[in-house]
Amino acid sequence: MSTHHTPEHLHSHLEDTLTVGKWFQNIWDAIRSTYKGMMITFRYVWGVKPVTIEYPEVREVLPDNSRSRLFNDVDNCISCMQCADACPVDCIYITAVRRDKEAPAIKTDDGTPLKLDLKQYTIDTALCCYCGLCTEACPTECLTHTTDFEYSQYTLSQMKYNYLAPDIRAWKHRIVK
Amino acid sequence: MEYFLDINKEQEQLKTNLMTMNMGPQHPATHGVLRVEIKTDSEVVAQAIPHLGYLHRCMEKHCEHLDFRGVIPFCDRMDYLAAMNMEWGYCLTVEKLLGTEVPARAQYIRTIVAEMQRIASHLMFFGTYAIDLGAFTPFLYAFQDREFILRIFEELSGARLLYNYIWLGGVWNDINDDQLHRISNWIEEMEENMKKYHALVGENKIFIERTANVGVIDKDMAFDYGATGPILRGSGVDWDLRKTRPYGIYEKFDFNTVVGKGEKGRVGDCWDRYYVRVFEIFESLKILRQCLEGIEAGPVIGKVSKIVKPAPAEIFLRTECPRGELGYHLITDGSKKPYRLKVKSSCFTHVSMLPDIGPGQLIADFVASIGSIDIVLGEVDR
Amino acid sequence: MHNEVAAFLNSSVSGSQATAVIAELGDSTVFVDSSKIFEVCKALRHSQWDFNVLQVITGCDYPDRIEVSYILASYTHNHELILKTKLPRTNPELESVVSIWKAANFQERECYDMLGVVFKNHPDLRRILCPDDWQGFPLRKDYVVQEKYLDMTVNPAHKINSGDFFFYKEVQQKMGDPKKVTFSWKGSGDDSETAEA
Repeated sequence: MSTHHTPEHLHSHLEDTLTVGKWFQNIWDAIRSTYKGMMITFRYVWGVKPVTIEYPEVREVLPDNSRSRLFNDVDNCISCMQCADACPVDCIYITAVRRDKEAPAIKTDDGTPLKLDLKQYTIDTALCCYCGLCTEACPTECLTHTTDFEYSQYTLSQMKYNYLAPDIRAWKHRIVK
Repeated sequence: MEYFLDINKEQEQLKTNLMTMNMGPQHPATHGVLRVEIKTDSEVVAQAIPHLGYLHRCMEKHCEHLDFRGVIPFCDRMDYLAAMNMEWGYCLTVEKLLGTEVPARAQYIRTIVAEMQRIASHLMFFGTYAIDLGAFTPFLYAFQDREFILRIFEELSGARLLYNYIWLGGVWNDINDDQLHRISNWIEEMEENMKKYHALVGENKIFIERTANVGVIDKDMAFDYGATGPILRGSGVDWDLRKTRPYGIYEKFDFNTVVGKGEKGRVGDCWDRYYVRVFEIFESLKILRQCLEGIEAGPVIGKVSKIVKPAPAEIFLRTECPRGELGYHLITDGSKKPYRLKVKSSCFTHVSMLPDIGPGQLIADFVASIGSIDIVLGEVDR
Repeated sequence: MHNEVAAFLNSSVSGSQATAVIAELGDSTVFVDSSKIFEVCKALRHSQWDFNVLQVITGCDYPDRIEVSYILASYTHNHELILKTKLPRTNPELESVVSIWKAANFQERECYDMLGVVFKNHPDLRRILCPDDWQGFPLRKDYVVQEKYLDMTVNPAHKINSGDFFFYKEVQQKMGDPKKVTFSWKGSGDDSETAEA
């Protein structure tokens, strides 16, 4: 390529002239630096225990405030919509209906009377970014993060959790928090 | 230079003995989805054109629909390997507009967390740069050391990689004495380990042959392209935002700026950039030690109103992140949401240097150059 | 510093109409006329302030204009400057400053891609982050995303969960009094504007 002209400062290595002394010095440098490196790595062959955890026989215990799968205790939810407001990706869908004054009064665990009937509380966990802003916003702490991280599904639609469904409500008994 | 500016179609068709190759979006050495279209003349690169946008999520448009607190999870998804620094930059920008006072303990915790994140990011560079050049062992050593950092972050914030920990006015959770004690033990261990790793990789003759005098970026080129961070310091310029325009409590700490001196080749080659990053780990450990001695008791978050509404203003603020200087240009109009949030990402400007350092190199040297620039595509594309 | 910069620009570049806007909160800026941006940048680069680094070129879309900001910095004297120009929303055009700072290449391409500002004499003005045949300029306030791109639908209903999002409409129909139904209004649907209530 006759028009191939690279500027001076982009020429690659091998610019200094190679003398015989330099050649032997290079060999000595290579041997010495490789020897030092091998001494470091050999120590790992016998001297260090393996750090791999043999999953799934051994499971790692995550810290308590780990932000993994969300759980909402709908019996305590007062439908304030704060979690849906705080969510940056809008993955929480809530619909609630105002209770009539004549309907029997039900209360949450800590005594707040419920004014709204929750008709839909769905979280799309595939959209969720696990930032924790919704759990911070929840005033009754019914929405919490658990430490479950093994919940992959085969289809996307199975990742949408309807917290009013009876099978998900039953998780309440096995969640430690 | 002519390759960079002359990309019109007619001349392209005349160059028939150049082979066009794709260092495609799926490539183990491009650190993400970066596509570089290389025109090679046998093994020598004649033209390199980067194509970006494979990870573009238009975060800037998205942030116009979120309130100020909701932007923080988006910020740390840009440079996901240095998430704490991203969040800190954004929080500093908004706090300057709001005028909030960040308590002293929160400042110390922010510094501890940001410096640990810098060490984690440079360890990731160390591991992946070695693996780009074919050395598989240092990758696992680096990741084992990084495990401790990620575990501490998981105990503090709840997540290993994308934290949402640094909030407007302070930080989310407090750090307890047990964690501080473990960090101080780890600092001593880390210093020993880094010396070993530098002897294993940096002083190795093969590594030196592959990286010295390769991809030289001199001072004028660095300024012209707006290069910042380790690239600028590797080219011999003594510029570190933590010293020249200090933010947070960096004025209290005593540490040095690591500047490339051209020990193994020319100033500004790949070895110098590697040297700057590895020795910045030692400087970060120094800062961490001083932080642990000086940390004060107190609250960890200042008073910020429930609905954040800064007055209409415009501000540009930059912070020193592991990959360069990240700037946030924020324009507010008095409502709950930012009117315009522009992120000046250092990696975006660094990718623009590729068409200039590519030509004249062998393809293997080009891989070494891309690795030494240390880009993360999340920040390039936002 | 901004007043001195404005005075310097008015004296050295005729017609630049440089005005300094000193802000109490946030950063002060210097506005210049859009037709003189190349001469202004050249003068600033070689002035006593020595703005040798162009950090970012951004734009912001307002109802009646587009404001393009050039954020310059000097790494030898440690200061920075925000330089702004106003452009009309129809056919916004500016002179490219690639020959002054090479960093402008990618920055101007991004400004073109996101806002539609055309930079004259740019060596390679094409879209950088969006695909080359994308329509529309995303960061404009009146941008509506296209329905289809290369025969893929852009926002398919099942992916954006429109069934769950609009579930409240079904509940409203079933109930006698639609006002009794409250729902989470967030999202980029048509209801988001009234959600501030």
